[in-house]
Parts: sequence; C-alpha cells; structure tokens
Amino acid sequence: MAIDAHPPAHDAPYIRHLSVLRFRGIEKLSWFPKKGMNLLLGGGDVGKSTILDAIALLLNPTNGATLSDADYWQRRHEEGFEIAAAMSLPLSCGIVEQRKTSWPWEWSEEGPKPPDPEANDGQGVDPVFCVRVCGTPDFELLHEICQPDGSFDHFPVSVRRSIGVVRLSGDDRNDRDLRLIQGSALDRLLSDRTLRSRLADKLGESDIHGELKDGPKAALADLGNRFQKRTLPGNLSLGLIGGPGFSLNALIGLTAAKNETVLPLSSWGSGTRRLASLEVAAAHHADHPIMVVDEIERGLESYRQRILIEELVASPSQVFVTTHSAPAVHAAAEATLWYVDAGSRVGRLPATVAAQQKRDPETFLARIAVIAEGATEVGFVARLINRSLSEDMRRHGIWVSDGGSNSEALAVLRALAKSGLTVAGFADNEGTQLGAWQDTKEKLGDLLMRWEQGCLESNLIPHVQDHQLEAFIAEPDGDTGERLRTMADRLGLADKSFAAIFAATDDIRQLMIEAACGNPPADPEASDAQKKAWKKHGQRWFKSVAGGTELADKMLALGLWPHVAPQLLPFVNSIRGSVGLEAVQAIG
Amino acid sequence: MSDASVAEALRSDARLVVVEAPGGCGKTHQGASYACDFAPAMGSSRLLILTHTNAACDVFASRTRGHSRCVEIRTIDGLIAEIAAAYRAPLALPDDVGAWARREPQGYDRLAQKVARLLTIHPAIARCMAWRYPIVICDEHQDASADQHAIVMSLYHAGSRVRLFADPMQMIFNGTQAAHAAAEQRWVDLKAAADRFEELDQPHRWANIQPALGTWIMAARAALRDGGQVDLTTNLPPGLTVHVAENMSPQRTGFRVAANVSQPIYARANAQSLLVLTGQNDRVIALRGFFNRRLPVWEGHVREGLSSLAAHCAANRGNAEALARGTLAFMQHVATGFSPTAFGNRFVQEAQQGCAKPCNGKPQHLQAAARHIVETPDHRGVARALDHLRGLIADEAAFAEVRLHHHREFTEAIQLGRFDNADDGFAEIARRRTHSRPQLPAKAISTIHKAKGLEFDNVMLLPCDADNFSNTKASRNRLYVAISRATRALMLVVSRERPSPLLKL
Repeated sequence: MAIDAHPPAHDAPYIRHLSVLRFRGIEKLSWFPKKGMNLLLGGGDVGKSTILDAIALLLNPTNGATLSDADYWQRRHEEGFEIAAAMSLPLSCGIVEQRKTSWPWEWSEEGPKPPDPEANDGQGVDPVFCVRVCGTPDFELLHEICQPDGSFDHFPVSVRRSIGVVRLSGDDRNDRDLRLIQGSALDRLLSDRTLRSRLADKLGESDIHGELKDGPKAALADLGNRFQKRTLPGNLSLGLIGGPGFSLNALIGLTAAKNETVLPLSSWGSGTRRLASLEVAAAHHADHPIMVVDEIERGLESYRQRILIEELVASPSQVFVTTHSAPAVHAAAEATLWYVDAGSRVGRLPATVAAQQKRDPETFLARIAVIAEGATEVGFVARLINRSLSEDMRRHGIWVSDGGSNSEALAVLRALAKSGLTVAGFADNEGTQLGAWQDTKEKLGDLLMRWEQGCLESNLIPHVQDHQLEAFIAEPDGDTGERLRTMADRLGLADKSFAAIFAATDDIRQLMIEAACGNPPADPEASDAQKKAWKKHGQRWFKSVAGGTELADKMLALGLWPHVAPQLLPFVNSIRGSVGLEAVQAIG
Repeated sequence: MSDASVAEALRSDARLVVVEAPGGCGKTHQGASYACDFAPAMGSSRLLILTHTNAACDVFASRTRGHSRCVEIRTIDGLIAEIAAAYRAPLALPDDVGAWARREPQGYDRLAQKVARLLTIHPAIARCMAWRYPIVICDEHQDASADQHAIVMSLYHAGSRVRLFADPMQMIFNGTQAAHAAAEQRWVDLKAAADRFEELDQPHRWANIQPALGTWIMAARAALRDGGQVDLTTNLPPGLTVHVAENMSPQRTGFRVAANVSQPIYARANAQSLLVLTGQNDRVIALRGFFNRRLPVWEGHVREGLSSLAAHCAANRGNAEALARGTLAFMQHVATGFSPTAFGNRFVQEAQQGCAKPCNGKPQHLQAAARHIVETPDHRGVARALDHLRGLIADEAAFAEVRLHHHREFTEAIQLGRFDNADDGFAEIARRRTHSRPQLPAKAISTIHKAKGLEFDNVMLLPCDADNFSNTKASRNRLYVAISRATRALMLVVSRERPSPLLKL
C-alpha cells in the first residue's frame, strides 16, 4: 500500500540567506549565497572558515557538539551567539512532518518574510524555511525552526541529517571522519549500534595477564601481597577496562591495503586523507547535501584541485569552498565568487570578472590587486612599486595584473571595488566611458591612477631632453635599430640613423610617441598592410611587460620622475598604505 | 453492495473520491477503517481526518485507537485556526487567534476566508500541508462553507488524496438563497470533479433496532432528493405513526390542536425518550407551553443571545442604562414573560436613575437587581443582576410568569461575571462548551437545525403542513434531516387542510 500522493521532491536544499551573530570572530554577518558553488576568497583571519563552520554547525548531524568560550565573539558567552539561515528545502527532508507543523516563509530580495495575503501577481510564495542554531550563555546548543508567527520549534537531528552537510575542514583533525568516533561520518555511515558492546565483550576475553613475562608477573604478585597486608582486595590481575574518556571505537579506523600491507588510511598523505574523508561523508547521503570545504587546495596537487572543483561544481549540491589557490580559482569558472573583507563582510565578485578569473586568478588572492590596463602598465607599475619598496612587492601581498584592455580593466575595477576586495588601477585616458571612470575614481581615490590625458608613453616622452633622446630610444641591450626603423618608416626614410630621423622631423618626441603607441597613419586611405605594420611598431618599443619595466627604469634613470611624480606618488603611497606601509617622498 | 465498492474506492489510487453518505449508513465506519488500514503505511507523514464537531473527532479517535501517531483528527475550524495562527501577522490577526475566532461575530468564517485566500494565492503553503497530510478524509462535508471547501480543495490541488463524505440532503443552514444555491452547485461540481463517486445505501443504524424503518427512511430520502413525495398512504413500516391533527393556533408560530386529537401526541410525551422537532425557534417556545413545560429546550451549541450580550457589555462599560437595556434584550431571548411593560422598563429606569427612589414590592425587587449594574457598570454587574433575577424567578410570586427556556445560555451569562473581560470570558465559555459536550437530555424540544447529528429512539415532527414544508430544496432537506433522527419510532403530525406538498397522504 504505497502512498504515492506526495508531490515530487525536487531540487537540492540550499541556503539563500545566512546570518551570523557573535559567533567566534564574526560579530555580525548577513550574506545571500547562491545556488551551486560559492567560492569564498579573502585574506587570512577574516572569517572565511568561521562562515563554513557556522554552516556546518547549523546543519550538524549530531547533537554532540560541545562549545567553548572561544566559540563566542570576544569570548563573551553571556551574550550567546546565533547562526540563522533561510533555506529552500525539498519537502522530502521531513521538515513539514515533525510533531508540530513547520510553515514556510516567502522568499524576497531582502530575505524571508511572511507571505503577503494580498499578493496578486500570480506568483505565489517562493517558499523558504528559517532555521537557526543558538549558543546559549551556558554553552548549550539549541537548534530551532523559526516559524512565521515568531515562535520557535525544535529543529531535529533527523531533519538536519536528511538535509545533510558534508564537511571537509581545513585543519588536520580531518582523519576524525576516517575513524569510528561517535558521530563521525564513518560512524554514521556504518551505524552499527551494537558494535561497541560486542567488541567490549570480545576484548574482555583477552588474556592480558597471561601475556605478561615472568618478571612483571612476579611484580604483580608482589603487589598483591602488599595489598593483602593492608587488607586491600587481593588476587591482582590485568584486564581491559573501560572508563570515562576512553573510547574503544576511537581506536578503530579505516584501513586500506598498499602494496599488500594493510595501513590505516589516516597514515596516507593529507590530500588522500581529505578526499577519502569527503567520500565517506558523502557516501551515506542519497540526495544532495550541502558541502562545506575549507581550503580545498590543502594536500592536493593542482590537477586534483581542478578535478575536485569541477566535480563539486557539476554536482547539484550547494557548495561552500574557501581557497587561496590560483588553480582552484581558475577552475571554478561556473562558481559564484565572493570576497570576504577584514570586517567579515561578504561581497560578490560579479560575472564581469569571469574573464579576469581565467586570465589571472591570482588577482583575487592578493591583499591588494593592481589592475593595469595592459602589459606595458603591468611592467611599469610592478617596477615602480618594487622600487618604492626596495623588495619584491609579492612579499606584501601586492599583485599587479593585466586587465586586458582599457574597458575590460574598467569592468574589473568596478566589480572588485564593489566586492570589498582592495583594488588599485592604472589606466590611460582614452576619452571613453568617462562617467564610469569618474565613478570608479570617486570610489578608489588615489588607488586609481588614470592619466589626465593620453597614455604612459605620451606622458613620459615629452619630458625627455634632447641629449637623452638616443639613450631613451636604446633598448636595454643597447640596440637601437628596431625602434629607429619604426620612426624612419613613418617618415618614409630609407636611412634609419638617428641623425637622419632627427633632421626629417620637427617634433621627434611626437614621432616617438606615435611609434611607441603604434598609432595608425594619419591618412585614412592608407592601405591595410600599412596600418597593420604601423600598429606593430608599439611592440618594438614598450608594448610588453619588459617594455613597461624598461620604461620605469628609464623614467628614474633619466630624471623624468619629477614631471610625473604629482600623479604617480599618491598612487604608489596609497598602495603602500593599503598594505600598512608608510608613505614615501620619492622613489629612487 | 455499496459498502464494498465504497471501501474499494477509498483504497484506490483515485485522487478525489466523493461518497454520498446518508446518515446511519456507516460512513464513520468506512472512514475509520480506511484510516486504520492505511495508517501503518504513512511513514512520517499523517492521515488527516477533518470533522465539523469535536464530538465527531471523539468518535473517529475511538475508532482509530492505536494509530494516533499517524492519524490526525481535527475539526476543520481547528485546522484553519492553526494555519491562521502561523500566519497571523500577515493576516492581521491578534496573538490568540482561537480566542479571537470564538469571540468575534462570524470569527471562524472570517478566519476561513482569510486562510482560503492565503492557500489559493500561495500554493506552496498548501504543498507543505499536502506533504504532511498525503491523505485527507473529510466528514460531513455538506456542512463545509465555501471557504472551508476551498481550503480542502487547495490541499487536493497540492497533491493530497482527498476522500469526502457528504450528505447533500443534510445541507441545511441559515444562509441566503444564493448561499444555498452556491452550496448545491459546489456539490454538483464536486461530483463532476471526482475521480470516483460512490453512494452508501445500507441503513446500518436501524439494522438491529427497526430495520424496516431504516429502509423506509432511505426510500423517503431518495424521493425527497429526486423531487418526489414521501408516500404515507401505503407500506408504512413498524415504528412510523402518521397522526392527523390540524394546528388551530391563531398565532403564526403557535401550536394548538383539538382536544380529540391531542391524546396520541401527549401519550408520546410519556415515553422515556422523545425528541420533538419543529421548524422555528419561536415554535419551540410555543411547543414548550403545549407540553406544559415538561420538556426542556435543546439549546444546541450556538449562543446568539449571550454573544450579543457579551459584545454589548464590552461596548457599554460604565453606562448602567445601556447595560440594563442589554440585559433586558437578553432576558427576552432566553425567557418569556419578562416583558418591557411588566418588568423591563422599570428595570432600565432604575439603572438610569441610580436606584435612588425608595419603593416596595415588585419595583423594589427590580431595583435590587438593577443596583448590581449601577454599582458595577460592566459585564460583572450584569451577571450579578441576572443571578439576582434567577432568584426572583424561583421564589417571588410577582415573577412567576417569567419562564426561562434557555437555561444553559442563562447560566453561562451568569458565569460571564467571573471573568475580568467580557470578550475573553465569552471566548473561554465557548471553548469550554465545545470541549465539555453537554449531555443530551432524555427528552427535548428542538429546532431541526439544532438537532443535526442527534439520534433519538423516539422522534415526533410537528406540524407537518404546507407552511413548514413547502416544495423547496431547503424544505426537502429539513424534512429528511428531521425524519432521519429517529431510530425506533417516528411520529409525523400532519395536516389535511393545509397539506405539505412533500407528503402524499
């Protein structure tokens, strides 16, 4: 007599809003995660792992968790903590079949709200259930379902289990799930309730006393005699005895054969251990548990990181991952990226950063990412900052990244600025998207260096003095031929000597700028071949990362710095400031 | 055998099963045994049985004993109140929704309206309920209002299997003609929408007592349903008595018969058990007189006079004169003889003037009663005044003509004085009344409406004439409800001069 009147269960459960109050290092957090994979980025100690722990605690499949005062914000346990979520749940999780009915809330952009009885848009409720876990002032955990009438009912283990959470924590305790510790994933997977007592019976039969060598046996007998003299119990022997704090099952763990030797799985490499734990945890979930993976890269080669990310992205589960790994970020093309800042605010990295994610995933992992609009700017800015620091900027978590183009750099800058990630920009003024650039400037201040006019070359070359021209043109290896050739071509000269070129133009600096920038011919009727050839001129000059580095070196060597210092120095100093360094007056 | 096909239909995969279930044909047995059969397969979900009365809940509970974990038995109003309470904020309801519903005029109807709309607009809520209750059994569904019906159907649309038991012939309520027509239409639509439609037709209730009477009642029901007449000319079964007596009362709602035909009627009243049924409230009072006040009035479960009195007291606190007027109106509802001219006007006047004038005799008694209201001008003073009047009616010759007919309602009004707040007190008294289920007296006079659901060995219906049973659908239903109350003996007091078109004499 099967009851099949149930409507179909659909969709994996997922958290649509998470709120954390006074839990560990997070005083207050409100976050709207997305379906599928949520990749959490951000520096150390900003609370990424705490967010994951909060989710795992909320859906904890046992009641056994113990709290310490470190679980309370600033150890103020008397104020309690609360982790609450609004979740879309398949009804098959059993939440509406508890002793008391659980009632759904209506989902809205601002979070869960009671359904509007006057709504007339024909849409009906997009239902969510609200659940929470509270840490009480006396270190107890209360799992509760929050009803639309403001009351709270018990949020039972059975429902938490059927929603499911699979957790891979970043710390090295994760061989816990490979052992038969009470409540561990392995314990829940096997769920053999009488194993413990059966084993105890068996072990009780072990003849430990008989295993003793003669010397120890005599010592024990001697002790027995002394006991008798004091009228203490006699006939001493040894046996296996339990007691508080000792768990027989904790000694039992998964083993596997390696080259015909049986080894505990916990003695394998940390990556294997982690993947094994994940499998154990996932094995007893028929449906789509919420997955929580802290520091996904830990112990895994980059190819295994990629595979794991891709598998997690492909699963219907909602997944929460933290990482500091560029290959992981790169592989997570389908994920929603979030940036957690030092105030535990979670900002979304919108889809407009997807190209940057592919191009340079390190952008999202730095303390401060400097988005330079092209290769020249990357080389130039990197050298400039390194010179200001007198050491490698990467030691300070500064990362300079190629934004791809002026407009792409703008898109990335706008997206990152909104997310909370610390970002700086370095760009030309191409006279386009002025409003958007203006907005970004207002947001970033000195962290955005955008030339008032023109580009890097056009801002430096005019300051080169006549006697410095040849030295400026010379490539780092001393060769000048390629660059002189580009200028001679533009003048239609066969002779590419500096003297001939200098004589043939009345503005050699303008000519240098045009060649260095690869400007097209002034004549719009010029042939495509010529246009193409002239465009390539830029590469002979500074249009590469090395070219940008060279330009920076020349600017400093030839004393051009003071002419651009008013624009560049505030930029450099605000980058220094963002990583906690003092401002400098000059760069040498 | 309809019993077998109904049992099979209930257990089938059909989503919507509608069973036309005349009273006494074993619908409770069918519903309860189906529930017991399916309960073990419910897993963590539940089978929901919806009734209209707490008494019916009790009956189902005793018939499904041992399955309480997976069989949930509720009144439909209780379920509605629970949903309304869960969403009381958006529905703009106060904290204690149940008390609100008991207290407010048409409180439960208003709740049903709000909840029906909520579930219609937000089917996701109904889906959660359908998941919890994959099977819903509705008892006496003909009594469901349009909103209650909409709520059940929203569960059906959300995926529940619904089994409805209804007897459209018992559809009698004090609604407008339009409401009645709408209820008839709901039944027609429901039959059309059902995946399976079945009828129960075995009169089990009479099987061991008066089987021929049961068969005759079923035949009468079919005739009334199908637009025909109840044939009283031939084949009258044992237990059925047709007595011809013309109502000679000059008053529209009075009752009087000639001495030569009254004897059989009075003889019946000497039986151990008797339920006298008639059409209107006023005639109940007249009949009480006719039977020399030997038969008590069955007051049913509704307290219209008390409801008005509680609301009136809440609205007129501090105004002794208005409270006295409310008390007078209440007395006229529960008793006869407490007329304005003989008692009421003086009573109100005393309250108005603060009971200051010295007086003697009847006025002095009225003054003493009114003084309670003057001293405590709220529902407590009114309750004390009523209590005082009760003593006067019992002991004082001047009050001998005052006859109490609604004793329970009168007692409850006195109880109101124990509560700090009239509204809350009324709600609480109503709650206690629904849960305590007053014992039926062995004999009673009742309107047909209030007798719904009652069973008596011995029933008398009077007067059966053209005024009381005209040829309308509502009359046909009322006639059927009246005759089907009898389990052993039924007497119809009929008229030849003004014959009812529903009866063939």
